[in-house]
Order: sequence, then structure tokens, then C-alpha cells
Amino acid sequence: MTVRVEHSSHHFLPTSLRATIIASSFWVLSLSMTVISGSIAAFTGCLFSCYLVDLQLHKQPLNTLRTSTILGLSFSAWLLAILFANFAVNTDTAAGLFSPIVAFNLGETMKWFGLSASITFSLRTLAHRLSFGAVIEILFVASAFVITLAAHRNGMIHRPFFIGDFALTRGIDPSSILMAFGCGAVLSLSALLMMENNQKRLPYHFTVLGLLCFSLLIYVRMFGLPTPQMTDNMGLTGQAQNGNSGQRDNPFRDGENDNNDKEAPVAVVVFRDDYEPLNGSYYFRESAYSEFNGAMLDYATRDDMDRDLIEHFTNSRSDSEQLPGANAERKLVRTSIGMLVPHRNPFGLVSPIAYENTANPNNLRFKRTYDAYSMAPEYDFEYLIGRDTGRDDWSEDVLQQYLTLPDDPRYRALAEELIQDLRPEYANDPFAKAWAIKTYLDENGIYSLKNDHAYEPDPAASFLFGDLTGYCMHFSFAATYMFRSLGIPARVGIGYSVPAANRAGGSALLVQAIHGHAWPEVYFKDIGWVIIDPAPQQTLVDMTTDPQNDLQQLLGDMLRNDASFEDFLESQQTSIIQLRTILNILYALAGLTLIVAYLIKVYRLWIPAVSANESQYRLGYRAALDRLSAVGLHRNFGESREKFAARIAATIPSIQPMTRTHLALALGDSQHEPDTASEWKELDQSIRHEISSTTVSWRKLLGILNPFSWLLTK
Amino acid sequence: MSSDNVAEVEELSTAMSSSELPKALDVLATLQATVKKQVLGRDDVIELAIIALIADGHVLLEDFPGSGKTTLAKALGEAIINGSSNDESIVPFRRIQFTPDLLPSDVTGVPVFDSNSNAFHFRHGPLFAHVVLADEINRTSPKVQSAMLEAMGEKQVTVDNVTYALDDLFFVIATQNPLDLVGTYPLPTPQLDRFLFKITMDHIDRDSELDVLDTYKTRRDLSGQLETVTRDQVLRARKTIDNEVAIGASVKTALVDISRNLRDDDRVLQGNSTRSMVLLLPALQVSAALRGRDFVSAEDIELLLPRVLGHRIELAPGVSDVEKVLLDNMREPMEQLARSTLSK
Repeated sequence: MTVRVEHSSHHFLPTSLRATIIASSFWVLSLSMTVISGSIAAFTGCLFSCYLVDLQLHKQPLNTLRTSTILGLSFSAWLLAILFANFAVNTDTAAGLFSPIVAFNLGETMKWFGLSASITFSLRTLAHRLSFGAVIEILFVASAFVITLAAHRNGMIHRPFFIGDFALTRGIDPSSILMAFGCGAVLSLSALLMMENNQKRLPYHFTVLGLLCFSLLIYVRMFGLPTPQMTDNMGLTGQAQNGNSGQRDNPFRDGENDNNDKEAPVAVVVFRDDYEPLNGSYYFRESAYSEFNGAMLDYATRDDMDRDLIEHFTNSRSDSEQLPGANAERKLVRTSIGMLVPHRNPFGLVSPIAYENTANPNNLRFKRTYDAYSMAPEYDFEYLIGRDTGRDDWSEDVLQQYLTLPDDPRYRALAEELIQDLRPEYANDPFAKAWAIKTYLDENGIYSLKNDHAYEPDPAASFLFGDLTGYCMHFSFAATYMFRSLGIPARVGIGYSVPAANRAGGSALLVQAIHGHAWPEVYFKDIGWVIIDPAPQQTLVDMTTDPQNDLQQLLGDMLRNDASFEDFLESQQTSIIQLRTILNILYALAGLTLIVAYLIKVYRLWIPAVSANESQYRLGYRAALDRLSAVGLHRNFGESREKFAARIAATIPSIQPMTRTHLALALGDSQHEPDTASEWKELDQSIRHEISSTTVSWRKLLGILNPFSWLLTK
Repeated sequence: MSSDNVAEVEELSTAMSSSELPKALDVLATLQATVKKQVLGRDDVIELAIIALIADGHVLLEDFPGSGKTTLAKALGEAIINGSSNDESIVPFRRIQFTPDLLPSDVTGVPVFDSNSNAFHFRHGPLFAHVVLADEINRTSPKVQSAMLEAMGEKQVTVDNVTYALDDLFFVIATQNPLDLVGTYPLPTPQLDRFLFKITMDHIDRDSELDVLDTYKTRRDLSGQLETVTRDQVLRARKTIDNEVAIGASVKTALVDISRNLRDDDRVLQGNSTRSMVLLLPALQVSAALRGRDFVSAEDIELLLPRVLGHRIELAPGVSDVEKVLLDNMREPMEQLARSTLSK
């Protein structure tokens, strides 16, 4: 395919425009990979090569070189440049002569100049010499822009950093710069296409662009578009909001969040079984702080602790390793949960025993959907009176872990003081002790998000023995420490607590950011972890939320994947014909076209064998031409049959007598019908033989496979 | 055509049975061979001249002096002998050197008073010949030019209200010098229409020129010994070819389409006439016969059309490449012609 295409770019202006476009794509490409000197070198190297090729390729000595030679030379030039660059950077010569910075800049300059000059040289040469060469050039320019902006995904307008930082430090909206880049890319590509006034090449270019667009469509169809992140920070972080902020190093610093968006929905729960909690709140446990790390309680690092928690999402079902007891007093409740923001752990209605991943009915809305199976408690607190604590299969070590608290005698002192007033029959009852502590906190604690404890060595002590002003973390830590000081195994549960009233009679329950909660839990023998949650009577925070029943209902319907929701979605769809249908029709049409083309191809080769003698000259000749077309020999537009025959006579000599006979019968008086039958057969045989003996095998194979080869026969 | 082609023509002509065509081709081959022996390096011009001769047309050569025009015309004229014809007034070859002071009677002939018979006798002018070389036709006055062109068009001359018929074979090779235009009367386009071909010749190639110098002596002695054909044979060949070489409908379609394309082209001020297409048909037939075909094909059109139309169309100001204009307008009809052979 080394057809030399006449290229009309000997003029200075188009050359300059094209050079500038390719050079800018080099500049864009190099920006993130090198320093300014490298970028400038890349730009100038590209300009240099463009002018060199466009103005000199048709003159001595470049026009005498073969394309492969030129490509090889460019490559060697590049290697040489890298060699020099390495020499400049890695040895002391340049650094010693000037300075290390100069040496580095010198190296980058040489490397990028060599790279861009050699690539441009190859690209321009290919564009001049090959019919499809300019396509590579356009692809290069397109990919330069794409690579540069590839970091800018998922709506992250701060990336790539070299654009985002530049803009943000100057108070410019980075999105306008990114848009300018995109517009630049589009304009450059269109300019490149428009400069191509060789009409033979335009179909190539448009085919390639069409294929690109089509493959993009296929990609989107198959993998979907990246989900836009619904954040309020202009996408600057590239991360979604933290739903539950229990993943911080210091849980007590949560209060520093100015919870502007306390009503932001974080999840929706659909109850598949009816359940009403006795204490007025639905508790959803996500994880727990149980291991004392020397300063405060933290996630358990030991495998034998907190085995009831399910730590990770799996794609199938994951079961709790440790089931709670007292199953007679519990109800198995299945809930479907759709997370609206990502969570590290799944959470479930207390006490969750299994999670099962479910199909996401709307991946634009839900980050993850799963079913949670819970053994929800139906006992009241009286059931707990007289129960022992701890678990039989806990080792002594584990029990000790659940009993560890800061080395601060005041906890025990306060706890002892609080249980002094217990009636004698409850004096040794763990639940009664715990309840006494909870009651103390209820009555004396002040709920507030603003507090000064976060930076104390022990915020819980600062809270408990200080102003008793804090929020759930302080209450739960203080309570847990006091439980532990009395020998009651306890931990801090983390998750959400949603008032039962929020359900408003429906089966869906909306979990909002403000419902994030922590609470103390005590382990009762044969029952499991029981939540004993202090509820301070004085609160400085408005914890009520506006009822969002509509949203709750809508999200619930969405999660349930109800037909009504599907109907709703369908009613929203404006286009009558689905994209899928269109695609299927396109596929079917493409397949049908192939089949029909093959059928026609075979028919045209077969029909001479059965047709009458008098149409042999026409059908037989056409079949012979079809065979020649298949191996790339076909008449050009406006070329006469004789000229075509003469042109290929060197390889297929039999075509000349055949053409002559064909024309004599087609154009002459057909009164004198020569006895053509045997003659045709002979000519046909020799043409077949000549084709097969002069054609390389891949050409033959391509000829057989190509369903459209007969279209070239005219 | 090279000498191999002559052999090929002969071979092919024997293959065509049950027709007069082989005989006609023999005549053409003899003519061609005879002329070729005397004019070297001008095979294409000889072929065109013979085509014009058989197709009953005339040729305008645009060439430099001393390039063999006269030799060509003379060789052609001498290759045709009178044979059985007893008209003494017709000679094989005449040459007229056109000058500004030439009068029409110098060309046509003049009645002279014969004192013996006491009557006027018409003295035949140089037009009464088989082959007439009209040298530097643009140097003479329009009056003489029009007398000449009337003779060419009507095959007759009228002197003193008496019309004298010219020979059936009357064939004019006119020349004009393309460069030395001072004091000339260039032929206007309608008059050029009388010529079937306008052939612009280049200098012959180096080898042929050497050949000319090497063999000029032997060629001078050659005349008189060469094979000849009779006038009647030529006329019969003309008739045979006209009868037996077929012109397909798609060929005529192509010709008409090319003409229409030319008339629609912005680069063409005035397109070619319908007459030019009519004149072209016999030429195409001869060309086909010379290639051993009994049908007209695209090859013939490609060869002859530029020669026939080149001087018949007037180009718009600023357009100079008539060849390109013609090729551009030929491409589409020729493609249709080629495609037509595969359909019924």
C-alpha cells in the first residue's frame, strides 16, 4: 500500500497551521510530564519537523528515501537524543560546567526535542506517503488531548492538577479552562480535517472518526458512564461525603463538623417484615469501638473480639460469626437497605446476623443495595433484670479486653457512687447498675455538639468529670468506661439511630446524616449485646428534622424496585424508540448486509456455469472481473476496458483476449456468434490459473473473505 | 502503428471470415506500409492521415517547416495510383503553396481560350488530385481560403458558373505554422470545422531523426518501387469499412454525452457541432478496422476524440489546456460506456 498520494501542502500557510496544531498537542501532552523547558523543546521540535517534512519531503534527498528508512532514521534520532539527554543528566560534565538545574533542563530539552521531532517526522512522512497516514496523525492529536484530560473524570474539575492548581490558585473556575481545552481539541481536529483537500482521504478520516464515536457508544452501552458524584464541594475532593463519620482517627472530633447538611439522606431502609422497637428508636449497627488502645476505645484488632460484627461487603451473602441468644424474645426481620453515600461497612437493624447483596435497581442513586437479616429484640428491660453478663465462649483475655478502661480511678469512684442507692435486691444486678449509670447521664448530661473535650487526653473524663456537656460519643464512652469499671463487659456501638416516628406508617425509613449515633452496649449472657443508650434530658441542639415523607417514599419505592417506579421511569423517557432497539436493528442490518453481499458474490461467480452461451460473454467476463477485484485488480473510473486489460496484462495476460472477445460481442454486431463456449472455458481457466499463481496467499485469503469485493467490478 | 501491428492486423484480418473487411484491411496495410517506408518516426500521424483519407475527411497539420509534411502527403498521394480510372485530369498528388497574392483561380483552375476550337477549355487547377497538400493555408487571403474550403466541403469547384466535380478520393492535407503568424489570416473556428483532424506534431525522436539522416538516400531511390493501391481499392475499402464496422448504441450515447458535457462546461465558450460527431463516426470505424476490430470501442474514441474536437471547441478566456478540458468531460461518459458492456 505504498501509494504515493499527491499532497497539496506545499504552501506555507497550511503547513504553519498544521504544525501549530500538532505542536500544541505535543505541548499539552508534555505539560504533565516534564518541566517548562521540556514543553518548549517539544513544541519547537514538532514545528521543526513539520516544516522540514512539508517543505523538503518532495525534494532531494528526502524524496529518494523509502518510508521505512525515514521511520528508522527518526527512531534512531530519538534514541540518540535520549542517549545525549542521559549523558547530560547522569554525568557530571554538564552539571559541573553549569549547574545541576541547567543540566537537568538541558536533558529534558534534548529528550523532548528528540521525541517530538522524531514522532512528528514519522507522522508527517506517513501522512504524505500513505493514503491512510493522515488518520494516524489525527488520532495522535486526539489522543494527546484525551490523555491530558483523562485525569478529569467523574466530574473532578481539579484534575489534571497542573490545570486545576493553576486555575484554583488564581481564583479561576477550572471548568472554564477544561472547556477551553476541549474546544481547542475540537477546533484543532476540525482544522486538520478541513485542511485535507485531498478528497480521496476524507472518507478514510470520517470512517475513523465514525468508528471512534461508535466504539465510544458501545463502551458506554457496555460499561456505563461513570456515576456523577453528588457532592456540594464542586467535586474538588473527588470523594463522596462521609456518610457516617465514625471512620476518623479521633471520634471525638466529629463535633467539629459544622453539620450544615445534617438532613442529607445517607440511606433508605425498607422493612420487609413488620417490626416496631420498644424503646422508640430503630438502631442500625455498623461497627463498634471495643478495644482500649491505651488512649481510648477503638475498633477491635483481635480476631476473637466483636465476632458478631460483619466487617466487609461481599458480593454474595455474609453471615455473622456469632449469633445473639434469646431467640424466643427476638424477631427475624428482613430489611432492604440502599446506601446513598458510600460506607466502609454495611449496617443493619440491631442485631444484624447476615447481609446479602442485591441487584441495584438504580445505580445512579444507590451506591450499594443489600438485604440485612436481623434478630430484632422484642424483650423489654425487665427481661434483662437478673441476667448475668459475659459470654461463655469468651476467653479470659477477651473478657478482660471488654473490661479495660483508662487508668483513671474516678470512673470507678463515680460508678460506685451511682450504684450506692440501688435497692438491695438489685445491688448485684448488672442491668440495674447499668441503668443507674444511664439514668445519671440522662438527668445530668447536656447534649451539645459544641464542647471543649476533643483535644483532652481523655475526652470522656473531661466530659464526665467536667461540665457534662457533649454529644453521643462522650455519653457512650463515659457510660462504657463506667460499666467496665463495675465489671460489666461493654463497648460503644456505632451506627444510626432513627426515631420510630419517622417511619410515619410506611415501610420505608429514611436515614439522614443527623441520625449518625454512638451508644453503649452491654453483653448479657445468652442474650447478646444490649443497647443501653443514655438520652440526655437537656439538649442544646435541635435534633428534630423536617419530615421528608415524600423523599422517604420515593427512595423506598425505588429501592423496592416496584413496578410503579419502573412505570414512572418509563413515563419519563422521552424517546419512543429505545437505544437498544436501534442498536439491535443496526446489528441486524450489518449482519444482513454481510450475508446479502456474500450471496451476491457467490451468485456472480456461479451464474456463468449455468447460463446460456449467448450471455456467457457478459456473465463470464463479469465473474472473471470479480476474481480480479478480489485480489485488488480493478478498473479505475473512466478507464476503458482495453486500457485496464493492458494495464494488468503483465500479470494476467489472458485478460486481453478475453476483453477483446467480450467487447466484440458487447459492442459489435452480434450476428456472427463465434463458438465461444470452449474458448471461454479456456480463457476462464487460464485467468484463474494466472490469478492463483501471481497472487500472494494473504491477498487470496482476503479476496475470499471480503464480501464486498464484487462492488469494485464495474 | 508499429510494424508488428501491421502484421497483427494482417493476421487478424485473415481471421475475420465471410466479409470484405480483410480486403479493405489489406489496402490499408499496404498504404500504411508504403507511407511508412518514406516517412520515418511519424507513425501516429500516418495512421491519422490514413484514417482521415478513408473516413473522407481532411487533415490540418500544425507543424514546423521541414518536418516531413510534404513527404507524407506526397507518399500518400503516390501510393494511390489511378488504376482503371481514365480521367486524365486527376493526378495522384498536388501541392499548393499558399501565399497572400494567390487567387482562387490559381487553386481551382481557369477556363482558357483555345484558338483551335475557338472555345474556352477549363484548365484544371491543382485541386484535381487525389491528395492535395495545402501548404501554409493561413498565409493566403480569406477569398482563396473560402474557395479551398468550398472544394473541401462540397468536393466540387465552381468556375464561371460551371461546376466541376472533384475526385471522390479528394483528400487535403493542409498545414499551418503555429509560430510565424505575421501577415497571416488565421482560419476561424467554423472553417476549422471542415477539417476532420487538427494534428499538432512535435519533433520526431532522436532515433527516428538519425534514421532519417541515415536512409534519406535509399528512400529517395525507393519511390516508384513501392507497392501501391488503386484509387478504386481505396474507395471500396472506404465502403466496406463503413458497412461492416459496427458502431454500438452505447458508443453513440457516449459521443453525444461527451458533446453535451462540453457544451455545459463553463470552461468552454462554444462546444462542438453535431456535424463533428457525424464526421467522427467513419473515422472511428477506420480506427477500429486498423486495430483488427469490426466494432468501435472506447479505445477508438480515446484516440480520435481529442484530435477531432481539439480545434472545434472554443475555450473561455484564461483556459488554455484543451486536452484537460476534453479528458474531464470524457471521463463520465466513457465510464458509462465501459459499464454498458456488462449489462444487456
